[in-house]
Amino acid sequence: MAGVSVAAEWQLLYNRYYRKPELYQMQWKHVDLTRNKVACAPFGGPIAAIRDDAKIVQLFAESALRKLRIFTSSGRLISETVWKNPGGRLIGMSWSDDQILVCITQDGTVYSYDIHAELINTFSLGKECFESSVVECVFWGNGVVCINEAFGIFAVPDFKNPRAVKLADCNLEDLPHCIAVIEPQYTMSGNVEVLLGVGDHVLLVEEDGVQQLGVGIGPLQKMVVSRTGKLLASFTHDGRLLVISTDFSNIIFEYTCEADENLRLIRSSLPEAVEACIDAAGYEFDISQQRTLLRAASYGQAFCSQFQREHIQEMCKTLRVLNAVRHHEIGIPLSIQQYKLLTPSVLINRLINAHNYLLALRISEYLGINRLKICKGISYAAVATHADKNGRRKLAAMLVEHEPHSSKQIPLLLSIGEEDTALVKAIESGDTDLVYLVLFHIWQKRPSLEFFGTIQARPLARDLFINYAQCYKHEFLKDFFLSTGQLQDVAFLLWKESWELAKNPMASKGSPLHGPRTEEHAKLLRIQHDLEVTTKQAIFVDSSISDTIRTCIVLGNHRAAMKVKTEFKVSEKRWYWLKVFALATIRDWDALEKFSKEKRPPIGYRPFVEACVDADEKGEALKYITKLADPRERAEAYARIGMAKEAADAASQAKDGELLGRLKLTFAQNAAASSIFDTLRDRLSFQGVS
Amino acid sequence: MAQVPNLDNAPINLTTIRDQSQKELITILKNIRGKKCLVIDPKLSGSLSLIVQSSQLKEHGAELRHLTAEPVETDCTKMVYLVRAQLNLMKFICSQIHNDTSKGLHREYFLYFVPRRAVACEKILEEEKVHELLTIGEYPLYFIPLDEDVLSFELDLAHKECVVNGDTTSLWHIAKAIHKLEFSFGTIQNVRAKGKASTRVADILNRMQAEEPVNTSDMGIPEINTLILLDREVDMVTPMCTQLTYEGLLDEFLGVNNGAVELDSSIMGVQQEGKKLKVPLNSSDKLFKEIRDMNFEIVVQVLRQKATSMKQDYTEISTTTQSVSELKDFVKKLNSLPEMTRHINLAQHLSTFTSKPSFLGRLDMEQTLVEAQSYDICFEYIEEMVHKQEPLINVLRLLVLFSITYSGLPKKNFDYLRRELLHSYGFEHIATLNNLEKAGLFKKQDSKSNWQTVKRALQLVVEDTDTTNPNDISYVFSGYAPLSIRLVQHAIRSGWRPIEEILKLLPGPHSETKKSGFASSPSFDTLPGSVNNSEKVAEGRRSLVLVVFIGGVTFAEISALRFLSSQEGMAYDVIVGTTKIVNGHTLIQTFVE
Repeated sequence: MAGVSVAAEWQLLYNRYYRKPELYQMQWKHVDLTRNKVACAPFGGPIAAIRDDAKIVQLFAESALRKLRIFTSSGRLISETVWKNPGGRLIGMSWSDDQILVCITQDGTVYSYDIHAELINTFSLGKECFESSVVECVFWGNGVVCINEAFGIFAVPDFKNPRAVKLADCNLEDLPHCIAVIEPQYTMSGNVEVLLGVGDHVLLVEEDGVQQLGVGIGPLQKMVVSRTGKLLASFTHDGRLLVISTDFSNIIFEYTCEADENLRLIRSSLPEAVEACIDAAGYEFDISQQRTLLRAASYGQAFCSQFQREHIQEMCKTLRVLNAVRHHEIGIPLSIQQYKLLTPSVLINRLINAHNYLLALRISEYLGINRLKICKGISYAAVATHADKNGRRKLAAMLVEHEPHSSKQIPLLLSIGEEDTALVKAIESGDTDLVYLVLFHIWQKRPSLEFFGTIQARPLARDLFINYAQCYKHEFLKDFFLSTGQLQDVAFLLWKESWELAKNPMASKGSPLHGPRTEEHAKLLRIQHDLEVTTKQAIFVDSSISDTIRTCIVLGNHRAAMKVKTEFKVSEKRWYWLKVFALATIRDWDALEKFSKEKRPPIGYRPFVEACVDADEKGEALKYITKLADPRERAEAYARIGMAKEAADAASQAKDGELLGRLKLTFAQNAAASSIFDTLRDRLSFQGVS
Repeated sequence: MAQVPNLDNAPINLTTIRDQSQKELITILKNIRGKKCLVIDPKLSGSLSLIVQSSQLKEHGAELRHLTAEPVETDCTKMVYLVRAQLNLMKFICSQIHNDTSKGLHREYFLYFVPRRAVACEKILEEEKVHELLTIGEYPLYFIPLDEDVLSFELDLAHKECVVNGDTTSLWHIAKAIHKLEFSFGTIQNVRAKGKASTRVADILNRMQAEEPVNTSDMGIPEINTLILLDREVDMVTPMCTQLTYEGLLDEFLGVNNGAVELDSSIMGVQQEGKKLKVPLNSSDKLFKEIRDMNFEIVVQVLRQKATSMKQDYTEISTTTQSVSELKDFVKKLNSLPEMTRHINLAQHLSTFTSKPSFLGRLDMEQTLVEAQSYDICFEYIEEMVHKQEPLINVLRLLVLFSITYSGLPKKNFDYLRRELLHSYGFEHIATLNNLEKAGLFKKQDSKSNWQTVKRALQLVVEDTDTTNPNDISYVFSGYAPLSIRLVQHAIRSGWRPIEEILKLLPGPHSETKKSGFASSPSFDTLPGSVNNSEKVAEGRRSLVLVVFIGGVTFAEISALRFLSSQEGMAYDVIVGTTKIVNGHTLIQTFVE
């Protein structure tokens, strides 16, 4: 191509140069865009076309059947299907971010097609749209807003969750002049916002409210929201083009977006020029122009000592990929910026989706992406399902092995009957939810005994089963323990069950002795039951042995207390503590003294001292303190009832300097502790503080 | 002051994460239009109070209820259940729906699982034939910021479920939470783990990174450099000891729940008969931030000094003429008065507990147990506690400490104490004791104890600990340096290698991995402009360590970590992640059935 024509392609618009290169001669035939409804996907994606049923057709000029046809950007037919969906006219059609074609008919039915013109989903916008026809729709990457004849506005915020929500009612009397949508990702609320050109202003409609904006701006004929959702371009009825921020706070008249082609070649600095050549090659669609630019760069590079040679190699690599997909047979005319935004893995994924497997594979190899992990987009699970459907189970199993997502791999393994592998993989993944999934599957499929055997060998599966069964399917748990010979666990389970039964007053009534418990426990229950009968007080059952003894003593039934003591071989030590505390509870100091004199207490007189001190009976306590054999204990006991001098005497008698010191400190600390905060309080008790 | 803590000073942007969680919850409510009854499981509701105020939920038409076994009384036709994915909660939901059906009530039911749907839960719903009546969704809340530097996964039972029930669901949850953090702050390059659960989490995290790589190209330098994972099981000694820091003691005696203590209003000097008062405790309270990590002894002194100086200022103001700027300064100081009053009240209340001889006796015994050189004294002390029927949890705390430091009790003593416990507290505690035995916390002696070696090698008992101007973490327990934090100290400074021999003496395996650059996402290597900058730390920025405790962490340990990062020459900040804030009491409680 001659140099002159290159420069002539460029046109100056304000302070930027632009050009409009022709990428393809469209390969299609007999497609009249004016008679068709057309949807073009961004990023060099496919084009969908269908005859516009709002336009008059000459009889017999073409088939009466309408066909939905899907082309590449270069106009090569990918797929077609006969449109025979009911529901009235096709109102709107658009490609989603996932390259799903979304079509909406008058009755509010939404049809989704993949690029192979296969219907993949259908749902309804709801009753209101069914009753009053949809008249207009505005799409964005992942959702749509519709208005119906009754002027109700509906939104599908996310095609992945096909549910329509009704937006706030804005009491329209006429259809708006124009509609635009601010995508949820760009709004403060995170919900979609709809702009309606109504009268001489704009209404902003949300789920829960309507706002009036830009009053007096004049009737708007057309509005478009910028890609970042920040700006709104609008065309007024009197032919002005306005660019406004979407909150209508200020009007920006001039706004240009696209940057550049490099014309810096003329600059004197060679490295920069080389850099510019490489960059320019990247932006160029024409292959011979790319070559010219890269050759120039390569020539110049030889004269630059400090140059990133990788840059030119990198660019060559990128361009080879871009040129390959731009080829009219493939028809994806991506710009380099779009390619970077899209990422190689998504591009490869799209190629696979369009059944361009060979190219996808070649590109992934060329870019050094592991062939078996081509990209995260590829679902081995999906491929494997297919293989399995075609009866190639071994291949399916091999493919599943490569699926990195355990959450996909495991259900698939189950569906091809590889339960044991599924269990192993689920356990490896550490995701207990997947383990449960496999567990329930096997449980349902296999006889109990076989199921029990399978899980018994795998601790995590076994434990999860036990947890589930403990909460919900007790009877299975017993069977499980019995079948695996864990008799102790069965016993424990039954024991626990009987406890729960006893806790339930309805069940425990009448049969407190029911259920297998430990022998000792059963004996205790029997005694407690008898005690309740003789004392006519229902206070014994389910209290502990020690509690039972205490209660007997408190009730003055010393014989019964003694009986329990002997029955359960309660040690003298425990017996003394229990009886001393019980007597102190009923403040029977005489009985306590008598008890202390029965015989020499096996653990000395300390329990007596403690019981009296706790009951704040200093006089009683003194009776026993003097009997304490160990002067250290004596010293501490005196200290506890605040007899500092006696405490000190006892401590010095013990010839224990450390104890003496500690006691002194205790006294000092106690005094300090109590006074510290009083002083704090005093200091703060000036105005304004309570 | 709100209970939702201020996170502006957090070393990573936690505010955005919390806002996101808040937004997600509000969106759930918004998507269910009109009036609705929001039924939350009570534990979750406590956690949510740190994210969103209940008034915000009410604004979106939600009537708030707690999920219990009882049917909910409401006129709403839409019921929204927001629950953790726990089996027992499913039964409540089923019985409520059955109850409605039997009364002929037709309602719309929504069920949102936190943090995600669970097959086992849905299985119960299916079996109970309510599954098809429910619209099921997820609320992916994996962690909650408790404070500027503390994240909680809110998994109260994680430790018990792992070691007793063998249910490792919490480990996946923890890995997922960390992976979520990586999506915000970049892939963490160094991972050090000690303990069975921790190494497993490191492992699951690796798998997650392979399955769903973090897009490093538009992330820049990872903000968190190192992840240290530690099992509570590795150090059960520390939580059994009574914490002696201010915040730790508040938790020991009053119980800090969801960043607040609840106590009688009279304690706080508010005269409202019998009324309970919630006092929030977080870094938004400047004075609390200053004193929370100090040894309680010192807190008393600091408060006294502050009160004295304020009194002096006041005297000067009222007796001499002052310039306007001096007056201004004084007024400024006056603003801190409510905080002063609050903490003086709290500290005074605490000292009613700490001055008791029984408390001092207990501390003495803990010290003796940790030193582990007087078996008989310890045994007799615990035996006597059982005979006196002191509160079971108090007994078990010391018993566990005893059993760990001696690596179990000789069979004769074990059987004896077990019998005495059952006789004193009831046979129903067989289950509790079995749980403790399964968890290795109260068991028969099976090997020689390593405790002496570990204690000496890691210098866990420090003589002459200066609590006023501490130079070692041992100040938090007045002389005992928490084992867990000693390990972290080593892990941060030099990795596991130098202490490998010691690690082998503690439960569970250990692991250490270093990630290299972009290995996890091959497709991005090919894009121009990507440089391997993952190892660099931005100029002037302190590096950041995330320390995760699996099975819970105590306030005293957090204080010790804060102390470490504040030391000179330590160029890192610490963020703590934990399954739950625990103390000996709450931890033992999870084992009690």
